[in-house]
Amino acid sequence: MPADTRVMLPVDQHLALTQQLYCEARLLDGERYADWLDLLAEDVRYQLPLTSRRFRADRSAALAVGPGYVFDDDKARLELRIQRLESGLVWAEDPRNSARRIVSNVEIYQVETDREAQVYSVVDIHRSRIDAQQRRLTAARTDRWRCEGGVWRLVSRLIQFDHPVVIDSNLNVFF
Amino acid sequence: MTDHAGLVSAAGAVQRRQIYADPAVYEQELERIFGRCWLFLVHESQIPQPGDFFRTFMGEDDVLVVRQKDGSIKAFLNTCTHRGNRLCRADRGNARAFACNYHGWAFGTDGALVNVPLEKDAYFNEIDKTRFGLVEVDQVASYKGLVFGCFDKNAPSLSEYLGDMKWYLDVWLDAQPGGTALIGETQKVELMTNWKLPVENVCGDGYHLGWAHAGAMKAVQSMDFSGFTVGNASVDLEGGLSIAGLNGHSLLATVDGVSGYSFYPDNAGILRYLEQNRPTAIERLGRQRGEKLWGSQLNLTVFPNLQFLPGLNWFRVYHPKGPGRIEQWSWAMVENAMPDDIKQRILDNQLLTFGPAGLFDNDDGDNLAACTEQSSGWRTRQIDVHTNMALGRSGPRPGFPGDIAVGVVSEHNQRYFYRRWQEHMAARNWRQVPQYNLNPLAGDEALADAG
Repeated sequence: MPADTRVMLPVDQHLALTQQLYCEARLLDGERYADWLDLLAEDVRYQLPLTSRRFRADRSAALAVGPGYVFDDDKARLELRIQRLESGLVWAEDPRNSARRIVSNVEIYQVETDREAQVYSVVDIHRSRIDAQQRRLTAARTDRWRCEGGVWRLVSRLIQFDHPVVIDSNLNVFF
Repeated sequence: MTDHAGLVSAAGAVQRRQIYADPAVYEQELERIFGRCWLFLVHESQIPQPGDFFRTFMGEDDVLVVRQKDGSIKAFLNTCTHRGNRLCRADRGNARAFACNYHGWAFGTDGALVNVPLEKDAYFNEIDKTRFGLVEVDQVASYKGLVFGCFDKNAPSLSEYLGDMKWYLDVWLDAQPGGTALIGETQKVELMTNWKLPVENVCGDGYHLGWAHAGAMKAVQSMDFSGFTVGNASVDLEGGLSIAGLNGHSLLATVDGVSGYSFYPDNAGILRYLEQNRPTAIERLGRQRGEKLWGSQLNLTVFPNLQFLPGLNWFRVYHPKGPGRIEQWSWAMVENAMPDDIKQRILDNQLLTFGPAGLFDNDDGDNLAACTEQSSGWRTRQIDVHTNMALGRSGPRPGFPGDIAVGVVSEHNQRYFYRRWQEHMAARNWRQVPQYNLNPLAGDEALADAG
């Protein structure tokens, strides 16, 4: 859909959804995972596909069974990841590390589907883990949010990760 | 040259921490290990068509592996022979030729220099293009789908290099007709660790599983971790073997024939695949391997930096990037005989458990990085680390090559890994590198099958 034909949400809804994105970032930064799960629709799909760097003119055949996903999670699998993080037995997260998510470049459009919105954003995650070690992970996100009883919930998130090599010793983070 | 006699104890049970951080030791490793050993390049399944290429590393050397028009495979240093620029910047793909970004020199997929811009006007047609083809890796050879390269013309053949490890590799590579494949895109992670630490973590260290991965084990209750308890309170050594003494190669093996795939959530399909195809595996491999090893959890290590794990189905190579840094490259691996839905499930499960955000893999990186960092302090680096668990408790086992310790919780394989490391570091050439395949099979397999 060309940008000029996109329909914006009414301003109050636009504002509410933007605030929701910032709130989500704050919940994740604070490791408030139960509250984050509440923001997700029951049928949520959360994906980060693997990619490779190819020449623009590359004529290779597609991979037989697909590229694979770093994350390809439904709600049950996200709960599983969170159970691990909250088990008290993940030593890499103890002491607690700090992560700060900066969410930017937010665009919100109405979609045909009743009560849903397409949301584009960029997330810039600053991780501070051991001593002076700093890691910065960036990604573009293409989201679908749905308004359920006046509450916006995340239905799908496709993460476009910017790093061909993951530049950290784990990805115990959500994007 | 560093004196290596004191860096690893004779039994391999003590290492000086210096070996994980010393730049001089690392430089010597690039020459004597990565410059001398056979190194994994690519799986044949990843470059099926002529012109298919895959960019990888041998030590820190950037290497381009290319499928030729006649179906053979060549490997070249990924550097323009004119002014040294990186020739190919893509990870993989298909190409008719490779043109350098800098001045436009173009090379065919066979490495020949085919075009020099301004050849007439600036070189006056006096350049002999045959002198400037890409530099080939000295030896390239395959073993049942795995393509290796070697920078040393005097190295033993790949087959001799692998030695009796081939008998174990075949449990995965040759159990079913059609062979194996690597699937999915390459999973690349940078870890601030010395390259030897992830190798030893996987080659022999069943000890860390119950403790380092306790969080994942507690969360993933669908998985069966028979023999291990969360928190390492106890372990059942029965049903597992630590096997080494094979030219520096090694494996951990459960021997129940199903335990590897029992790690999978929702594993009914794959267990049915094993049941249906086990007669074929037995026919091809004999009862010893077909019944006890095929389908079991195996941790296979080909010295120095290749590891793959039938059962969890990940395949991994560690590229050194300095004394304290690596790139860890992983793929999912399958047998071609598997139905597509099982292949897809394996790719998904491999990424869930040992991918870049893997529930288990995300426990290891910090431990490996910290072991590396704690080898660099002036006082700290003067002390030792120890791999003395179950020292002196290994021996032969009927029907299996190698020197074998009971149980997968042991430091037996690490000792052989460091022994091999020291042998390479001390040797000035291949003639000085001892070859050993302890307790070779001879006729023992028939004996074991009869028993």
